[in-house]
Amino acid sequence: MERRQISVLLEQADVQRRLGNHRGATGLAQRALSLDPDHAVAHAVLADILLDARRLPGAGIEVRNALALDGHDPYIHRVAAAVLTAERKLDDAWAHCLIALQAAAPTPDAFVLGAQVRELLGDPAQARELLREALALDAANTAALTQFAQLERRAGAYDEAARLAELALEADPLYRPAHIVAGHIDLARGDTESAEQHAKFVLQGDANDLGGLELWAAIRARRSRLLGAWWRWNSWMSLGDDRRRVAMLMAGYLVAQIAIIITDELELDRLSVALALGWLGFCAYTWFAPALFRRMVTSSLDAVRLDPEF
Amino acid sequence: MTYQIADQPIDSSLRDHVVRPSAPLLAAMLCGTWLAWPWFAFNAIAMGSPTRRKEVALCIAAFVSTGMLAWLVIELFDLGWIPKGAPLRLALLGLTGYKLAFTYYIELLQKRTFHVYEYYGGPVRDARRILSAGWFARGLVLGLSSHPIWGIVLDGLPGGM
Repeated sequence: MERRQISVLLEQADVQRRLGNHRGATGLAQRALSLDPDHAVAHAVLADILLDARRLPGAGIEVRNALALDGHDPYIHRVAAAVLTAERKLDDAWAHCLIALQAAAPTPDAFVLGAQVRELLGDPAQARELLREALALDAANTAALTQFAQLERRAGAYDEAARLAELALEADPLYRPAHIVAGHIDLARGDTESAEQHAKFVLQGDANDLGGLELWAAIRARRSRLLGAWWRWNSWMSLGDDRRRVAMLMAGYLVAQIAIIITDELELDRLSVALALGWLGFCAYTWFAPALFRRMVTSSLDAVRLDPEF
Repeated sequence: MTYQIADQPIDSSLRDHVVRPSAPLLAAMLCGTWLAWPWFAFNAIAMGSPTRRKEVALCIAAFVSTGMLAWLVIELFDLGWIPKGAPLRLALLGLTGYKLAFTYYIELLQKRTFHVYEYYGGPVRDARRILSAGWFARGLVLGLSSHPIWGIVLDGLPGGM
């Protein structure tokens, strides 16, 4: 009876996760774990939800609990691979992907995740191979088609990327990730109007869709060079984890201050003042630009009307 | 009993006094570490952070280790190993960098819990008044002692961030 109750709770949790209701999904998974704290799959489902909700430390702990309880379930290995990918531990992630792919009947999802990891490891050829295998299992798999389109977009093959994104949208016209990729392809080709249509569609369905907001901000950044420069700077700074960003900021601060001290000591007064003013200008720009950019994006978002079913 | 997720904050009676971790970070730059580090420690407790012990320990370690480094710099200066001028300024800049690294590290740690705290609808207080009060109180606090270690440990960032 308890086992049945847990599996119903986990199914409901997965449905809520797919709907984007992370809080509801988390509550359901917690209820399942309250009934049986040693349920490995329940830990993995919770990890999957926490990962979707961008609660990486919690997801990491939960998936490690799941692996400790059951080291053979392919689903647990797939979730472990996803969490480790988010933690940027790509070699470990690939090891878990391989276990998930060696299961008796690997799912297209496992191939798509494997492709993501291979791409991040700098191996687009194998990523393409894995995506072809996913499409061999299910030719209309929207996640695989979208991931393939994304891969081709990053490689600069915009025509092929657009064709794949179109196939994904034919398979499911409401699939938001495909709209996001299609929007980015249009943006790269300079068609901001079409990119905006895709972004609007995504945000009408879910105003909190991170990918949709990112696309929307990228469109705004394209339209203002000064604020667009901040967006590019910020995107570059955010490439790695927070520690990298802080290390870069600290290094910038120390280099600027050392340069000011040295020029000061060498009595290069003008250069010293120019450096101090340059640093001050950089601080002011990086302080005000995000606020201005946010205001610009927010005011333009007012034009987006939510779908009544949101 | 509901299963508790490891990163989930616990209930605290001080929730109404929680601020964004960026507020103590800003306080470190504008007012000094005398305000920032104790504020980080208080915020960790108020939020019910699962890593609050680590955060409080880090705040204490920040004071102690910066004090020891400041003492070392002063001793080396007195012994003539660090001459006046650029070398002394660079040594003090190194100390500032050390304080900044510590402050950012605590902020990053606290930010993780803060996201979860905010996710569960935890109240967040506006920190502008405290920051303004800290800015005005800065001179008063730093003037409490004329010992150089006092100033080096408790002051903010020379030259601004």
